[in-house]
Amino acid sequence: MTTLVQHTETPDPAATHRTLRTLAGVEARRYARHPLFLTGVALMVWAMVGMAQGLASGTGDAQLLLVSDGTTVPAFFLGVLGVLVGHRLTRSMARSSEAVEASPADGVTRTAALCLACLVPGLAAVVWLAWNYVAMAIWPGPYSAAISSTNHAAMLSAGVVYAMGGPLVGVMVGRWTRFPGAGLVAAVVLVGWSLLGTFGLLMSASRVGTLVHLNAPFTTWVSSDSPAAASWVAGGSPGWYLIYVTLLCGVAASAAMLHEAWGAQRSRLVRVWAVLVGLALLALALAAASDPTRILLPRG
Amino acid sequence: MTAATTVGLTGITKKYHGTTALDAIDLSFEPGITGLLGPNGAGKTTLLRIIATVLSPDAGKVRLLGRTPATPDELAQVRRRLGYQPQEMGFPRAFTGFGFVDYMAVLKEWTARAARHDEVRRVLDLVDLGDVATKRVRNLSGGQRRRIALAQAMLGDPDLMLLDEPTTGVDPEQRVSLRQVLSRAGERSTVLLSTHQTEDVAALCDRVVVLDQGRVRFDGAVRDLVATAAGRVWMADAPDPAARASWRTGTGSHRNVGETAPPGAELAEPTLEDAYLLLLGDRALTTEVAA
Repeated sequence: MTTLVQHTETPDPAATHRTLRTLAGVEARRYARHPLFLTGVALMVWAMVGMAQGLASGTGDAQLLLVSDGTTVPAFFLGVLGVLVGHRLTRSMARSSEAVEASPADGVTRTAALCLACLVPGLAAVVWLAWNYVAMAIWPGPYSAAISSTNHAAMLSAGVVYAMGGPLVGVMVGRWTRFPGAGLVAAVVLVGWSLLGTFGLLMSASRVGTLVHLNAPFTTWVSSDSPAAASWVAGGSPGWYLIYVTLLCGVAASAAMLHEAWGAQRSRLVRVWAVLVGLALLALALAAASDPTRILLPRG
Repeated sequence: MTAATTVGLTGITKKYHGTTALDAIDLSFEPGITGLLGPNGAGKTTLLRIIATVLSPDAGKVRLLGRTPATPDELAQVRRRLGYQPQEMGFPRAFTGFGFVDYMAVLKEWTARAARHDEVRRVLDLVDLGDVATKRVRNLSGGQRRRIALAQAMLGDPDLMLLDEPTTGVDPEQRVSLRQVLSRAGERSTVLLSTHQTEDVAALCDRVVVLDQGRVRFDGAVRDLVATAAGRVWMADAPDPAARASWRTGTGSHRNVGETAPPGAELAEPTLEDAYLLLLGDRALTTEVAA
């Protein structure tokens, strides 16, 4: 073949970054307008009102409510519903895939933009977290002194990670599978995995029980031995658990991007993914290795 | 191949599960409009997908816009100057026409919002969709959706435009309008137009490539292909059983395309369709005309 038209452009990484930023904004707006996300936010607001009424009337147990609902509300209303939202947003362009693939924004950039859009439910969960602290200030205690403010913050902050983690799993499943119900299946699997983790709460206070409890991607820290008995907070390290679920988010995001990557980029992403998996397992081990003693909650 | 060549294909072969879609194709394309004709399954869409960089050939070399799109950087450089309208194109349910083309503009690195919106409005106006741009795509007609697909391919006036059946489902008035748009695009860009509409090729293209069973059956000027039918098209009062194709026209006489003159027939001016039918013979009749 002879010489063709020669052009002098060089690769422009800045263009890729600008595209990622712009595309992430577009995807974030799509996420924020998605009916399932709006439903989740409405349910969260409804839960806020319900909690406030319970705490204000004195019928609610302050610490029990804040530790328990503080994580389960964002986990279910933003995280589990977010699996479906993330999956639908990812698959929504599948019917235009040929035109999309012929654009200069490669698959990794497009997937990264979708992952960044998962900050939207994270932001909604931050509002929920802030409300929890406002509620603590308005309706003080009694709170157990055995739970440090750092551990309390770690437990509550996990809700923010749950809210982003579910959608990231949705994006990952949307990239790796093609059948329409895959998002729903992923949500069910995630809930099932989380329910399996509650078996750790039924076991005696031990490191094995803590490991069974804390390997779940969504967990609640509060349980009781019977409906009439006092509630207690499970053992283990909330701080390391928070790091564990955060790393799981990274595992999901890198796995999603891996599907579209090739060449050197793919090798880099495989390494990143492997390191994140290793660190997540280490964080889980450290979370479970902490003191398994359960902390009784004072009655409100 | 010359210095102006924007697409250079050498020995391109593609097989699907043992079926050969393209068989050692050698082609090059330069600025101007080239029509791709051929029966269903001839390999037209496969050829366009390979040039659009969304499909890799099993063998052969591809040069696009002076580059070999083998690395991510080279691919991105080529795709920045390429517009592609696929044959089948679905749309996300929630998007409006403007929203979809705007999304595609972001993917094509139009990151400055004001400039991007101006460009989206420009291409939507080009395809006469400016007034329905805020409607959801699912509420648009099939022809309007085809024009949305064409609009996104025209973003940024790409140097290489690949259009797979852009006028299918478009009404005659819009087709004429699109021909004007495409003819202007062909003055500066390399436009490859895959179509079943021989009249579009005759109206728009300088050059035509006829593919059949993954091979090039004709590659040359449209008038040269039409010339192959000279003296082989006849108007008669009755259909000729020996003709390659014969049909009754609106005037009541029969148009016979074949090698011999039916009794009492008069020679007729051949069209591109006549030449195409003669070139591909029975394969054209069983696929193209039926379609």
